[in-house]
Amino acid sequence: MTLESRYDAIVVGAGHNGLTAAAYMARAGMNVLVVEKNDWIGGAAVSRSLHDGWTYSNCSYVCSLLRREIARDLDLPKYGLQVIPYEGGASFTRDGDHFAYYSDHNALRREMARHSARDADAYRAYSQAIMRQCRFIRPFLLRDAPDPASLRPRDLGELAYLVKKAHGLGSRELGETLKFWTMSIGDFLDEHFENDLIKAHLAGSGIIGTGLGVYSPGTAYVLLHHYMGDIDGGIGAWGFARGGMGAISNAIAASFKDHGGTIHTGAGVEKILSKDGRVQGVALEDGKVFYAPVVASNMDIKRTIQHHVDTDDLPQDFTKAVNNFKIRGSSAKLNISLDQFPDFPAAPEHTSFLRGDMHVSESLFELERAYDDWKDGRWSEKPYIDMLIPSQIDPTMAPTGAHMMTVFVQYAPYDLNIDGNRSADNWTDAQRNAMAETVLNQISVACPDIRDRVVHMEVRSPLEIEREVGLTEGNIFQGELTFDQLFFNRPVPGWSQYSLPIKGLYLCGSSAHPGGGVMGAPGANAARAILRHETRHGRMKGYAA
Amino acid sequence: MSNYDAIVVGGGINGLIAGAVLGRKGKKVCIIEKAGSFGGMASYAVDGGPSLAHALYNLSPLALKDTGIDADHATLTGQQIDTVSLSSDGNHIAFKEGRVYWNDGTEHPQSQAWRELTHRLKTYGGLLRQLAEAPPPGGHSASLSRARFAEMLRLAKLGVGLKKLGKTEMRRFLQVVLSNVYDIVLDDLPDGPVAGMLAADAIRGAATGPRSPGTVFNLIYRLGHGGTITRPAGGMTAVVDALVEAARAAGCTMLHETEVSRILVDEDAVTGVLTADGQTLNAPMVLSNVASPLTCKLTGPSVFDIETTRRIRNIRARGTAAKVNLRLKDASPLPGLKDELKGARLIYAPSAAYVETAFNPAKYREMSKAPVIEAIRTELPDGSHWLSAIVQYAPSDIEGGWTQSALDQLTQLTIDTLDRAVPGLRDHIVGTQTITPDQIQAATGAPGGHWHHAEMSLDQLLTLRPSNGTSRYAFGPKGLFLCGAATHPGGDVMGLAGRNAALTALEALK
Repeated sequence: MTLESRYDAIVVGAGHNGLTAAAYMARAGMNVLVVEKNDWIGGAAVSRSLHDGWTYSNCSYVCSLLRREIARDLDLPKYGLQVIPYEGGASFTRDGDHFAYYSDHNALRREMARHSARDADAYRAYSQAIMRQCRFIRPFLLRDAPDPASLRPRDLGELAYLVKKAHGLGSRELGETLKFWTMSIGDFLDEHFENDLIKAHLAGSGIIGTGLGVYSPGTAYVLLHHYMGDIDGGIGAWGFARGGMGAISNAIAASFKDHGGTIHTGAGVEKILSKDGRVQGVALEDGKVFYAPVVASNMDIKRTIQHHVDTDDLPQDFTKAVNNFKIRGSSAKLNISLDQFPDFPAAPEHTSFLRGDMHVSESLFELERAYDDWKDGRWSEKPYIDMLIPSQIDPTMAPTGAHMMTVFVQYAPYDLNIDGNRSADNWTDAQRNAMAETVLNQISVACPDIRDRVVHMEVRSPLEIEREVGLTEGNIFQGELTFDQLFFNRPVPGWSQYSLPIKGLYLCGSSAHPGGGVMGAPGANAARAILRHETRHGRMKGYAA
Repeated sequence: MSNYDAIVVGGGINGLIAGAVLGRKGKKVCIIEKAGSFGGMASYAVDGGPSLAHALYNLSPLALKDTGIDADHATLTGQQIDTVSLSSDGNHIAFKEGRVYWNDGTEHPQSQAWRELTHRLKTYGGLLRQLAEAPPPGGHSASLSRARFAEMLRLAKLGVGLKKLGKTEMRRFLQVVLSNVYDIVLDDLPDGPVAGMLAADAIRGAATGPRSPGTVFNLIYRLGHGGTITRPAGGMTAVVDALVEAARAAGCTMLHETEVSRILVDEDAVTGVLTADGQTLNAPMVLSNVASPLTCKLTGPSVFDIETTRRIRNIRARGTAAKVNLRLKDASPLPGLKDELKGARLIYAPSAAYVETAFNPAKYREMSKAPVIEAIRTELPDGSHWLSAIVQYAPSDIEGGWTQSALDQLTQLTIDTLDRAVPGLRDHIVGTQTITPDQIQAATGAPGGHWHHAEMSLDQLLTLRPSNGTSRYAFGPKGLFLCGAATHPGGDVMGLAGRNAALTALEALK
């Protein structure tokens, strides 16, 4: 592969958002280079084989949020992306019972009634409320967040769109929306349901990836953030990408390359070069230098600004805001190769819900206590786990008869507390293994034979996530999804529209609006901003435009 | 049978103000209070001890003006008091005249940062006060009506105020107001007693911890009237007396020891109230100073639609602040405190993290293992000396109930905690009173013994206070209004809820 040294644009980081931005720019005729520090691409949407015969979705593990406009614009199915929805899920209890979540409405109703007849009735109002919020928020994902302090026509236009949408809800419904956005998922569930297990099952999405507890205001929004996606129009549905989450990044990369794009792997960016307040290009760790008038960083805002640009010339209130940006590691991950399907004694045979997301948390208090442990700098004594066995649906993930299990763990701190000293350096192998034991104990609530099934296990603390993927503190959303860091406050007030104080430098990762998840929206939105500001024709084409 | 233009149910601060405002507008008003004296929660006291509320910081001059009380009223101006953040090592930190000092009188290194942060929050508070001084935005008045025009004007004024901050500050405002106090304080200050004091102020009276999003708002709310804290001359009783006097002067009929057993509704309009002793008082307008669930009980839920009753049921009001009054043996100063700080407001919150840790057990219906305390020294007219302390967290719904042993445990915990920072305090104490939120609820009717009647969280503010659809004082049947702390803008011996409600009621029944 030969590399020119001059491009129209350079994207730093080949995560799904970086690749999305690059693919849109390439389609608009720009000559784009993507540079990636790892030898592989994908960032946190990646599939890797760490044990012969098994494939792990090492970081993100299920798909729903990927905007369908982007999938269509970039022809992702043509480049090999297949998303297969899974149905159902379950929460297992220590006394051998379970709550099963079925996508079949009548089955779900029967199962809820088994735990609480009242909750079975309440579910309808609950799911309608969530669905209304999803419908409200979805149109904003591929739009810019307006700057409320600006009087530019674009901002006023976006603001007018927001007001129009809000007004269209009617005053009662607008009130419900404001309430939903500011309340905790715990309070929201308490308003609807009475059964602890049902509430615990539904609450998980409100805390995944977040340094907040189920009773912290704002977690209802975090839940929404996990429900606002869709698969083939089924809003709130989740699925597996065939071949693991890397299939998404690979499809976007293929689409990008097909339109003349270049990807350079194996060397990270040492420095984003700038002169007189204008970006020049990038210098890589391997000594190579590439030039371009536009650089889009798929790294989070902290990493981009604190480690890779000259901060001397930047406005002080900007750098201060970046330093104060909250990006806290709160999640860990276990990827497990299983020699055969583990035994779930509580589940009926051949049930569908084992193909979905499984948990072992029994009450909101248990989840809240898990958060308290994290605040103290310890991994939760009883962490929330989100575990799936994708190899049941996608046979490419494991050898025939064997299986692969992915286990997301909430909460695990980045700066582990050992005897009052909080530091990421405390994550030794011994500590990592101890955390893995805690998680295996949790898993064994659902499948007691789990330890006998393990062939290979990858344990990732927030520190590993930071080191390998580059996410500061291992925060999977590139920044907390709290009100003070969402919409026009994301990543920092005044810089919510992808450009940064260095001319030509853009942010295209999840630190930007609308935030994390394998969504692609920040990448597409950044590309739209770049094409508008930096090219003569100015307009992006496609559904996401 | 008596006829009135308006009846106010509950003679607490907001009820008295609502009554006085209506009376001054020429309405024939009757204020009915269940207890033997007026004042509600603010002046509630047991066995001659100090009242529940022990300082003023948010009393609205506007509410006083509409009540006919001069803002410089001798009783209300009182004596300004300083704040001391106690430290276990005896090196207490004093907040005086906008600066921070060590015990030895030298300025604290965090003085400047503290000053800038509080100044900023006070600026925001001043802006938001405009919203507090009127019903929350989002009314149903016709688009060309005077009320709608007034509302648009108010919002425009707020917009201009925001613009005047400048772009950077305006953006910062929109971020900070939604944030949590823990992060905002620790962005500018290292964690310690200075940060702890701010965190403690942000959560006082609330069922929330400093790390919960929205808590900055609570701190801004406290600073909405400038943040000056005063001890009223003559105590909270004198404040209540002044309000009672104002209500009388406005022509209100004042009934105490009279319980309202029913708010009468006929054909979807209130007609008056029925008292427990069988009297019927007629009025086309009833303002209820009791919380919305209780008001709903007084009318009977059948006059509300089902969505409204569901929303009322879901209003969160978990009181977490207990009152522990420590009777001191005499007037001698507390050990380790300089003379000039003798009467200061003492805070025990060594760090913001400490406050958060104190909150953890409260989530699970347990009391704090190490509580957050605000204590003020008071001398009562009978010559007794007290250290009046607000202790958090002591949740109203504590697991197992507030048994005698739980009460003793809380009392002991309070004394032990204060004694750690003020060694020798123990020897000054000759008696104790412990008043938990459930007792406050029993005595005043406030749900959960919560001093705002409903949690001041972002999802229960402004147009959502106390619940969506009932936020502009009008409550169910025609002529019924809420006027208590559960309504916008909230409690804190502020008086704006009562004043706004009275003005809204007047407008509605014109």
